[in-house]
Amino acid sequence: MDQNNSLPPYAQGLASPQGAMTPGIPIFSPMMPYGTGLTPQPIQNTNSLSLLEEQQRQQQQQAQQQAQQQQQQQQQQQAVAAVQQSTSQQAAPGASGQTPQLFHSQTLTTAPLPGTTPLYPSPVTPMTPITPATPASESSGIVPQLQNIVSTVNLGCKLDLKTIALRARNAEYNPKRFAAVIMRIREPRTTALIFSSGKMVCTGAKSEEQSRLAARKYARVVQKLGFPAKFLDFKIQNMVGSCDVKFPIRLEGLVLTHQQFSSYEPELFPGLIYRMIKPRIVLLIFVSGKVVLTGAKVRAEIYEAFENIYPILKGFRKTT
Amino acid sequence: MPGGGRCPDCGSTELVEDSHYSQSQLVCSDCGCVVTEGVLTTTFSDEGNLREVTYSRSTGENEQVSRSQQQGLRRVRDLCRVLQLPSTFEDTAVAYYQQAYRHPGIRAARLQKKEVLVGCCVLITCRQHNWPLTMGTICALLYADLDVFSGTYMQIVKLLGLDVPSLCLADLVKTYCSSFKLFQASPSVPAKYVEDKEKMLSRTLQLVELADETWLVTGRHPLPVITAATFLAWQSLQPSERLRCSLARFCKLANVDLPCPASSRLQELLAVLLRMAEQLAWLQVLRLDKRSVVKHIGDLLQHRHTLIRKAFRDGTAELEGGGKELQGQDLGPGRGKAEAASSSLDLPEGKRPASPALLLPPCMLKPPKRICPPPPISTVTGDEDISDSEIEQYLRTPQEMRDFQKAQAARQAATGVPNPT
Repeated sequence: MDQNNSLPPYAQGLASPQGAMTPGIPIFSPMMPYGTGLTPQPIQNTNSLSLLEEQQRQQQQQAQQQAQQQQQQQQQQQAVAAVQQSTSQQAAPGASGQTPQLFHSQTLTTAPLPGTTPLYPSPVTPMTPITPATPASESSGIVPQLQNIVSTVNLGCKLDLKTIALRARNAEYNPKRFAAVIMRIREPRTTALIFSSGKMVCTGAKSEEQSRLAARKYARVVQKLGFPAKFLDFKIQNMVGSCDVKFPIRLEGLVLTHQQFSSYEPELFPGLIYRMIKPRIVLLIFVSGKVVLTGAKVRAEIYEAFENIYPILKGFRKTT
Repeated sequence: MPGGGRCPDCGSTELVEDSHYSQSQLVCSDCGCVVTEGVLTTTFSDEGNLREVTYSRSTGENEQVSRSQQQGLRRVRDLCRVLQLPSTFEDTAVAYYQQAYRHPGIRAARLQKKEVLVGCCVLITCRQHNWPLTMGTICALLYADLDVFSGTYMQIVKLLGLDVPSLCLADLVKTYCSSFKLFQASPSVPAKYVEDKEKMLSRTLQLVELADETWLVTGRHPLPVITAATFLAWQSLQPSERLRCSLARFCKLANVDLPCPASSRLQELLAVLLRMAEQLAWLQVLRLDKRSVVKHIGDLLQHRHTLIRKAFRDGTAELEGGGKELQGQDLGPGRGKAEAASSSLDLPEGKRPASPALLLPPCMLKPPKRICPPPPISTVTGDEDISDSEIEQYLRTPQEMRDFQKAQAARQAATGVPNPT
């Protein structure tokens, strides 16, 4: 590989160790004015206090949204009334006392924003009484596509891998290489690793339901081969999603401001590895704007992680 | 001489403490009678303080520095000396190695990993002091694989929770360029190829900055870009003699390895320079190509900021807004000889400079290798019925099984190896 055979011939001044960098204060300069309640805030969500708040909100999602909508309408009316009073006072001398239209027509809503699944509520910061007009949808409008689901299931009985390899068409078994049978089915297009203990790993599905259906098909094949296979403890272990933000990203800038989460080593890998804490997802961010998200147990984590990272990435868009 | 004690036999007061091995005794020095004696055995409560010590604790293996650790620490110091690093770097690297060694995962790791760990500690130390050391150098010195190195490096950074700053590009340029053997004439380097170090360094730095601005550096290994920039800088300082020299020959002359991607970086850099040249009126008429543009690199670098702004439109805005054609070039405040009026008058309609190219990383400019159709919306619930016929297609017929077994037996007989399955 590339070799730098040069040895620094001169001694540089001894700078203080750069390792003790101050933890990155997220330097986030929004492109568009963000409202107080509708935009996912970067990193600040990882604060332990908001963690609890977030969880509570997710649990009481529906009720809260409805209550908040009612609350907002009340507050809106209050704000409008207040403004009307103030403007009428101000406008008394000359104007005809027109109420400003802008507060009326804006409908502030915390309904699920377009592009996100209903499972996942937009992260809402505490509603403040004064809510000036904001554009309703600040979400990215991009939905990550699921690319791979890894799940495990216990077939509940010991298996004889030699028999399976002999009697199944779609199986390969090479005990010297790997101690499991590799089986494939066409619909849904997946691969399974079947171990002699009866445990099975199913990979390659594009959705949770497809993964479950595929695992059931594998169990059925094993059943037909003569084993008393059951379908116990089906669990999704990992989900991988990907999407494209469609603009180039300055990875060097991102690693500077988010040092405690990012790892960018161009000598090793062209992408930046971002380890988000809440939700616990690893993102691979590339200069072309493509983002790969992995490590999720549920779909909502992938969507949430992307909504968290999108404003951060937008901040690194401007080049010159 | 105990006070008040008398021997019961002879009545003398001369009693002495004379222990019999571990048993304490009080003996009369006249007649030898044992007056009192201590307890020979210890009670359980006494033994409470004399608990047994486990073997591993008695050997002190966790407190002492093991032999392999000592060897590792020696290698760290040796590596620092080979790289001619300041002495404080040595202490820091040694401290990191010791810190890493405290983790059981590292203590029990293979020797290969411990070897590579030496390099990782030195690299982290250098990065923290902004000393430009590439992983390639360390791997070459340790005769290690980059894959093994990268795995250990990522692990140790996570384990020790370190903040490792990025490689400093400017310092790397200075170090790497200085290693090119072109600054003095020698039997292999003719006089026309010798170059002044300072001039070459400054021009290379400017070219690398240009590459950085135009998205040629992000996400890529830095060294090939620097190699290409050095080559262009060297060529442009005396183009008449050096244009004939290729990149490979240049590296051979300079006694430096040619990294594989350097040629494609060179082409990318030349393409950027050509686009910039199109914005300079006196260069437009020359109809430059990738070879002739080298002669004008000096001019292009002098006005690079303006030229980049004019030659490229912001790729991101372009993608956002859906593209608007920038028709007239408004030539900015004249820093060069280009006169706004003269250029728009001189060039007829057909020869108007091309509309600016998008300033994007090369990977975004290339057409996608394959178009991935959006996946069809699947209505699978996961609980559907599974038809028997569908499963049966995956089962072998008895005939197939016999054939398979026959084939296996034949293979086994042919190779003479016992059947592994």
